[in-house]
Amino acid sequence: MSSSSSPGKVLLEMKDIGKTFPGVKALQAVSLTVREGQVHALLGENGAGKSTLIKILSGAYTKDEGEILFEGKPVAIRGPEDAQALGISTIYQEFNLARDLTVAENIFLGHLPRKGFRVDWATARAKSREILDRLGAHISVDALVSSLSVAEQQLVEISKSLNRRTRILIMDEPSAVLGEGDLERLFQVVRSLQAHGIGIIYISHRIREIFELADEVTVLKDGRYVATRSVAEVKMDDLVRLMIGRDLKDVYPRRAPVTGDVLLEVKNLRRSRLVHDVSFKLHAGEIVGFSGITGSGRTEVVRAIFGADPHSGEMRVDGKPYRARTPTEAIRRGIALVTEDRKAQGLFLKLNVAVNTTISGMKQLCRMGIIQRSRENALVNRMIRDLRIKTPSASFIVVNMSGGNQQKVILARWLSVDTRVLIMDEPTRGIDVGSKAEIYQIMDELTKRGVGIIMISSELPEVLGMSDRIMVMREGTIVGELSRNDASEEAVMKYAVGGEIAHGAA
Amino acid sequence: MSAVATPVAPHRTGFFHTLRGIPILGPVAALVLACIFFATQSGRFLSGANFSLILQQVMVVGTLGIGQTLVILTGGIDLSNGMIMALSSILMTGLFANAGVNPYLAVLIGLAVCVAFGVLNGWLTTAIGLPPFIVTLGTFNIAYALVRIYTTATVTNVPPALLFFGNTFKIGSTEITYGTVVMLILFIIGWYVLRSTPAGRSIYAVGDNPEAARLAGIHTSRVLTAVYTVAALSYGVAGLLLVGRTGVGDPNAGQNGNLDSITAVVLGGTSLLGGRGDMMGTLVGALIVGVFRNGLQLMGVGSIFQVLITGILVILAVSVDYLSHRGK
Repeated sequence: MSSSSSPGKVLLEMKDIGKTFPGVKALQAVSLTVREGQVHALLGENGAGKSTLIKILSGAYTKDEGEILFEGKPVAIRGPEDAQALGISTIYQEFNLARDLTVAENIFLGHLPRKGFRVDWATARAKSREILDRLGAHISVDALVSSLSVAEQQLVEISKSLNRRTRILIMDEPSAVLGEGDLERLFQVVRSLQAHGIGIIYISHRIREIFELADEVTVLKDGRYVATRSVAEVKMDDLVRLMIGRDLKDVYPRRAPVTGDVLLEVKNLRRSRLVHDVSFKLHAGEIVGFSGITGSGRTEVVRAIFGADPHSGEMRVDGKPYRARTPTEAIRRGIALVTEDRKAQGLFLKLNVAVNTTISGMKQLCRMGIIQRSRENALVNRMIRDLRIKTPSASFIVVNMSGGNQQKVILARWLSVDTRVLIMDEPTRGIDVGSKAEIYQIMDELTKRGVGIIMISSELPEVLGMSDRIMVMREGTIVGELSRNDASEEAVMKYAVGGEIAHGAA
Repeated sequence: MSAVATPVAPHRTGFFHTLRGIPILGPVAALVLACIFFATQSGRFLSGANFSLILQQVMVVGTLGIGQTLVILTGGIDLSNGMIMALSSILMTGLFANAGVNPYLAVLIGLAVCVAFGVLNGWLTTAIGLPPFIVTLGTFNIAYALVRIYTTATVTNVPPALLFFGNTFKIGSTEITYGTVVMLILFIIGWYVLRSTPAGRSIYAVGDNPEAARLAGIHTSRVLTAVYTVAALSYGVAGLLLVGRTGVGDPNAGQNGNLDSITAVVLGGTSLLGGRGDMMGTLVGALIVGVFRNGLQLMGVGSIFQVLITGILVILAVSVDYLSHRGK
């Protein structure tokens, strides 16, 4: 359902752009052309050069080679001010909003309209309203940004850039922070921007979105330009092959689940108003997927099981009663949680791969209270090898690693203690397709060793591709259970939104 | 490129990056350069006796810095350390001089009071969740007041047992103070514990990311309480060294202990944001200050200029650290 593209005039041309960091050629001869009213998708794995390219365009980096033409005229972008003057705005995954100010204040941040010496609040509010209405956003202009949902904050961020006469809007993985339910709304907004003649550079890992939204797609790989294709004329498989050099069907391992004994039993789990009456069983060797829109209580359930939040209910591990009072207790019983937000809740970014790997299992490396380096190195190096973690050494600081490799370090942490129930909240968020496939492979291998996996995912293909059973949550409880054979996107969505599939409606 | 291999994220090389890899290298280089400079300026600088003197001059601040390093690594800060030291030293000396308490018992009581303050600092930061800056600002004042309530006069009748750490022994012709040996041993223990024990690793983890630490199974509150308590114990030892060095119980001591120890920690390359740094860095940091003060004194530069230069050093050190960590 690609949108009708009436090719507008060319707004931006980036030609043979090159950028070198000490020791690394980050970009080499990359070109990109964006037209008025066009959604141009930028596709590539992490490290392919997408970020570098848009950082050059938004003035965060300066290019070493090539030229940039804006409406046919060569321009120099030396800093963010130059980009802004040309009408190039960027919406990053981390929003640039003042959380304690109102929506209107944020939209006009830095250039509030004035009447004499005073701020003209009436105009600021009226204009903010106008922009928000244009986006179909029902948000009060007087609401504090901190009180808004992530999806609403994103709309404020978009409004902010519209208020600055944006000609080209760069959206860096805008869907990554949204749940399945908010996606359609984002798509509508993007289409309305498109209708206003704005050129949009849309970065996403999710190929499905590109087919739904984009007119053209440019693929980068390893810092080089691969191809530009019209979305109407290209097939999904071709794009994947261009991007990673293999076929999509190889991404998900073919699961042959051998279901063993019940590992974890949860009965009537409740957590204040967020979760109620959640009961299910997890067997050895099984992957149970948890689906549902954001806010349906999935994360709250697994955090309770892991002992990270207070809760009530009955749980059993290996048939023996289990009270999850602290994560420490959960870990001792063989339960592990790979959190949704790797950087905020999982990693020690200033510490190295070894410390990040062994932090939860230090005791077993000790002799008389002293961590034995030889044992630690042996363990960490084995993990690096088994999980194919790309790192120069065990003493490499994790902040410098790619998302996929950081995720593998977290996995290494849980594999180095005796984990039997592995809970993964959005296991592949922000991870490129290549690493995704590797992580799926690891999950599959773990189940063969008798580990039970609970996987939360907002990506339906992932839920369908990996789960042996799917639990669908809505409003804090499980509303449906689907076996692998009964599962389809429609069936899951039907439970998730409650009967009727509300396409388009927010 | 044929394989599916993604290149490792571009990472920087060059001078600052190298520094970043070995955090203590910068401070050590600064210390060596300072020594070379002062050796060319004064013939008396390069001698065993002078180095022994420098060590003796830094032993109190250095020992305070041991506890301060632990606290700062957790992302906290301890403003109370100098006053806790003063309170312990005034109790250790005063209880003997004024109440006739056995000097060893007096020392134990002094150390116990330190531990009590440490537990209080730890409890207020973890159970109530107050910022360490505020908590230790409060306990700084409380300890100061307690010293003043106990006595405003210098305790001069100090038993010989308490002066032991000010005594010296000879290696060759160089006299070395016992207290400096205590400081060096404590630094080595602190360094080893941080590097090679679960407790040490937990301190780094909590300082880097407390929520991730909790979710990795670390009892963060226990770690923090233990850190403030062990730190306070090191301030008690510093109090003992102070008595040995000055020979009296001084109610006016320790008022700059917090800032001086923070200076040593920062010069040693430890980040005030927590999670990154090194115990030996603090020793080097304390020595940098000591070498500058000593060297400038030998050159005949007035003491106020020594303070001026310390200020410049701190800003320089943090600038280098900041530049080496900016961007990624």
